[in-house]
Amino acid sequence: MKEKTILPRVIGYLASLLLTLSTFALIGLPDLLRLDNQKITYLILVFAVLQCGVQSIFFLNLWSEKKPRWNLFVFGSTISIILIIILFSIWIMDHLNYNMMPR
Amino acid sequence: MEKEVTIESDIKVFGFWVYLMTDLVIFGVLFAIFIVLRNNTFNGPSGKDLFHLSSVLAETLFLLTSSFTCALATVFLYRKKRQATLLLYAITFLFGIGFLFIEISEFLDFIHQNAGPSRSAFLSSFFALVGTHGFHVACGLLWMVVAMWRIAFYELKTPDVSRIFRLALFWHFLDLVWVFIFTIVYGMSFL
Repeated sequence: MKEKTILPRVIGYLASLLLTLSTFALIGLPDLLRLDNQKITYLILVFAVLQCGVQSIFFLNLWSEKKPRWNLFVFGSTISIILIIILFSIWIMDHLNYNMMPR
Repeated sequence: MEKEVTIESDIKVFGFWVYLMTDLVIFGVLFAIFIVLRNNTFNGPSGKDLFHLSSVLAETLFLLTSSFTCALATVFLYRKKRQATLLLYAITFLFGIGFLFIEISEFLDFIHQNAGPSRSAFLSSFFALVGTHGFHVACGLLWMVVAMWRIAFYELKTPDVSRIFRLALFWHFLDLVWVFIFTIVYGMSFL
């Protein structure tokens, strides 16, 4: 059983470490890859999502759950609520100045 | 035959997981506030002026390593190796204390530079988000002391294993939230 073996934990730790250090390398040494800021922003967001995936697989054991995967289902619905809150807040607030301008 | 405690077999673990997900909604709302307000510095210092990348890196590595030792402790908990579990939780606890120490000294440093939570909307949302996470870490450390007491002086039966399993879930959850804090709050302020 997955909870009883050490190897997945070590893999998860090394993968998280690699993703963390690459994020900090991209921020601290911006000349390394000669990317513009927008690309770096997207890249570190991708790294954060990947690390979320790695930790949910190797530390939380969320994906090794047997059917019916209730824990995973609650996790998924929470993530969708959070995405709705964050993306729509950004969308509304970014357009607030423009839409409130007098015609 | 004792019942196995896993993420799916224990109804208490599931209930705790649902609590963690509601907590995640709190963090999600605080993230939304921070993202909306992060440029409203009111002529005060911005994140780039205040944050030190080296201390954020130290905090991140401390919390990540503590999450790893906590995961290892769960493995030894299943094998009923009491001393190894205790030792790994002690290491986890020390890394957690180290994390909290760096964070609090960072906060005090900001307040000393007249960049406290009342300085600007950016700093209010920063202190609310990172402070809530730090408060959770402090609660987790307190819980860890109680858990170590149970491991050291009591026989490990199924309810205890379930309790400590929930503590491990809580700790991994805090690490997961921190991944997004260091990416969105600290990382993006340098770009």
